[in-house]
Amino acid sequence: MGLPAEVDDRHRDRVVVPRRNGSVTIVRVVGLVIAVGFAAPIMFLLQQSVVLGSPMLEAFRDPLNLGPLGRSVLLAVSVSATTALLGTAAAWIVTRTNLPLARLWAVVLALPLVLPSYIGAFTLQAALSPGGLTDQVVGLSLPVVEGFWAAWAIMSLLTYPYVYLLVAARLRHLPANLEESAQLLGRTPRAIFRLVVLPQIVPAVLAGSLLVFLYAVSDFGLPQLLRYDTLTRVIFGNLLDRPVSTALALQLGMLALLTTALERGAARRMSGAGAVAVHQGRGGLQWPLGRWRLPVLLATAGLAVAALVGPMTVLVYWAVRGIANGTTRAGSVIADPGQLIAPMLGSASAGILAAAFATLVVLPVAFLTARQRGRSAEAANALVVTGFAIPGLIIALSLSFFVLRSSALVASVLYQTLPLLIVAYVIHFGAQSLRAAQVAVAAVPDDVLEVSRTLGARRLRRLWRIELPLMAPSLLAGAGLVLLSVLKELPATLLLSPPGFRTLATDVWSATSDAFWAEASVVSLVLVALSGLLTWFLVLRRTDALS
Amino acid sequence: MRWRRCLAPALLLIQLLMILALGGCGTGGGGDTVTIYSGRTSNLVGPILDRFAEETGISVEVRYGDSAELALLIQQEGDRTPADVFYSQSPGATEFLADHDRLASLSTDTLESVDQRFRDDEGKWVGVSGRQRVLVYNQDLVDAADLPGSVFDVTEPPLAGQVAVAPSNGSFQDFITAMVAREGRQRAVAFLDGLVATDAPTYANNNAIVEAVGRGEVPMGLVNHYYNYRFLDEDPDVASRNHLFPGDDIGALVIASPISVVEGTQHVDEAQQLIDFLLNAESQAYFAQETFEYPLAQGAEPATDIPPLDTLDVPAVALDDLGSLEDTLEMIRNSGLAG
Repeated sequence: MGLPAEVDDRHRDRVVVPRRNGSVTIVRVVGLVIAVGFAAPIMFLLQQSVVLGSPMLEAFRDPLNLGPLGRSVLLAVSVSATTALLGTAAAWIVTRTNLPLARLWAVVLALPLVLPSYIGAFTLQAALSPGGLTDQVVGLSLPVVEGFWAAWAIMSLLTYPYVYLLVAARLRHLPANLEESAQLLGRTPRAIFRLVVLPQIVPAVLAGSLLVFLYAVSDFGLPQLLRYDTLTRVIFGNLLDRPVSTALALQLGMLALLTTALERGAARRMSGAGAVAVHQGRGGLQWPLGRWRLPVLLATAGLAVAALVGPMTVLVYWAVRGIANGTTRAGSVIADPGQLIAPMLGSASAGILAAAFATLVVLPVAFLTARQRGRSAEAANALVVTGFAIPGLIIALSLSFFVLRSSALVASVLYQTLPLLIVAYVIHFGAQSLRAAQVAVAAVPDDVLEVSRTLGARRLRRLWRIELPLMAPSLLAGAGLVLLSVLKELPATLLLSPPGFRTLATDVWSATSDAFWAEASVVSLVLVALSGLLTWFLVLRRTDALS
Repeated sequence: MRWRRCLAPALLLIQLLMILALGGCGTGGGGDTVTIYSGRTSNLVGPILDRFAEETGISVEVRYGDSAELALLIQQEGDRTPADVFYSQSPGATEFLADHDRLASLSTDTLESVDQRFRDDEGKWVGVSGRQRVLVYNQDLVDAADLPGSVFDVTEPPLAGQVAVAPSNGSFQDFITAMVAREGRQRAVAFLDGLVATDAPTYANNNAIVEAVGRGEVPMGLVNHYYNYRFLDEDPDVASRNHLFPGDDIGALVIASPISVVEGTQHVDEAQQLIDFLLNAESQAYFAQETFEYPLAQGAEPATDIPPLDTLDVPAVALDDLGSLEDTLEMIRNSGLAG
């Protein structure tokens, strides 16, 4: 009687729904194809190193190069550790306590991300340094804002929202029942956070911290202004010595690959057991702050002041001073505010398109890495994530290299057009939407999928009706991160944009490089306002953050 | 359900943006066009390029960016580069392209319209306007009588450690290359080592130095002359002032902004016309009056409060000697001067 047993087996297979046996080959193929696209910058750097005979190994041995590499790692590790704490605390306070004006803080605390690091660093430096605004106005003379501590503090203030946004999205959708049970069992709030909440948000914390780490190693403007001698500072100081700058850029790529692998390992180990999936419409516990209400409110406001209000105040000061002086210069936004329309449209369209495509493109990779795992998934993940650590300049050069060496038709149709610029943005910032999408995929409960599968729903229908709605908050958070990054992006925009294409970031750069401070400030303020508006309208408003 | 209700408007918005953005790209068809990759910013050269387009009917497409990054891009683009003209902030990036055979030769007439000191011997570029290296100082902190007579004094007491530099800045690098050309490699290496040994503060760029000097964070700095005019324009109370090294000290080097024609362009005539336009009397007056720079065409006069070039005893370094940027970069790296 072997037959019934066989049928029985097959039947059981269908009910249990094996999730990690690599059955969804289409996802795997699409995911890998997409990931190969993300490899363009690394392949370009490897090709160049070989052609130029870059001193790749020497770069690892030469103490003159190891110093900057060490400093890059030191800065990135300390900033990502700091932001992990800061971002998680901010997210918990905003989503889980009776903080006054919590809805307002939810938006305000995300906004420092809209400040390009070079603007944040420049304004804080101008404000706090000897002879700066605090010295003049308050009479408080501080030491010169430079070096490791300044870079660490300012970069942490500008990047903690990476952690904050991802963790807050996760916290909002954790079911309350576990926490309630723990509370009924008499656990203190601290114990509940440590034992119940923390294990659930670790993947989001790690994902956010990895983004901060990669941002910190790839940033050039901030270390340059604050005189902290990192790897990017050496790369950009020696751009036209191509063997050297190529070798060091490749070093940066290797560092990113290594870090990504470490983070994946950590995430797997720390979130292996008992991940709880989201259940829509049922948030976690709310804690009354009691006598802590005022201190917590002050701390939250302090964070917002240091990271957002401080830099903005300096910008407003410069802008007002410039508007009061007036200008006769043709083409100045102070004389003719209509000049702002073209760059605003440019920024908004580039940002929204890149955010939409980045979210779409990384989705197969997210499914691949979250559902299937294995070596190909890890490779795909690493390639996408590495794009974030490679300076935008290198990404632009690599796309230029590959497109212009393809057929004449492709080159003439694609080169320096908006679609190619969007591709550059997606390669550079896809990591952000990927991390968010991975959190999203992992958050779809197994039982819901199994039920829908046993009910015979097809793959696409399941994706459309069940998975996407559950994933929407995290996906939107990821899209928001990409949007904000694109609005600040400069080097790739300058090299790959269509002729005559302007963004607010390129206008800020143009004004600052000629020391038109008033003009730079006005455009920066518009950039911050536009970023805030778009983030609220397209992302935060739709993630139940405010409901 | 809510999720799908927002999807339709979102898709519509994306479509709209695509149409909007792509529509904006389709301009420039028909007629003569010249494409410029410009390391000089639109604030400085935009108005004069617009004037060229108006007067000649040749449409101008400009890609603004950092000189070194644009030079890298042109080199990377090779034969298919859209660039017809490369207009650089400093000679280092232009020489980089010349070394990679990416520049065409200019006509003799064009070359000869510029002072011999500010054009390439091989005929690949001419300087349009020039900036002078100066010492910027805070007049509240430094007595004008104590200002140094030579740039080499900045590594010696009492100035040592008081003068800021911007090692990653193209103009500083050109200044070091010129120093090698005129004073010899040994002296340049000693100068860099002196800066490191005396802890000379390093900054990101000229702007950052002038800003820091203005607020008194550092008393002095080595920069190009025109930044302080901009700062004074923005805030008349600022305490920073320029000091010109006297005589033919290398610290008073005049650095040209070179313009060149990219090899293999289909628009040689338009490119040549553009360069001649920038060197005519009207354009040269623009650079003198509006950007506070030295006009470099023969016979052009600088702005009223700037001494004319031919009355100045500026160091006679032929600027095409500013070739070996890679060598300079290596020297700066090896000195350990970070930035």
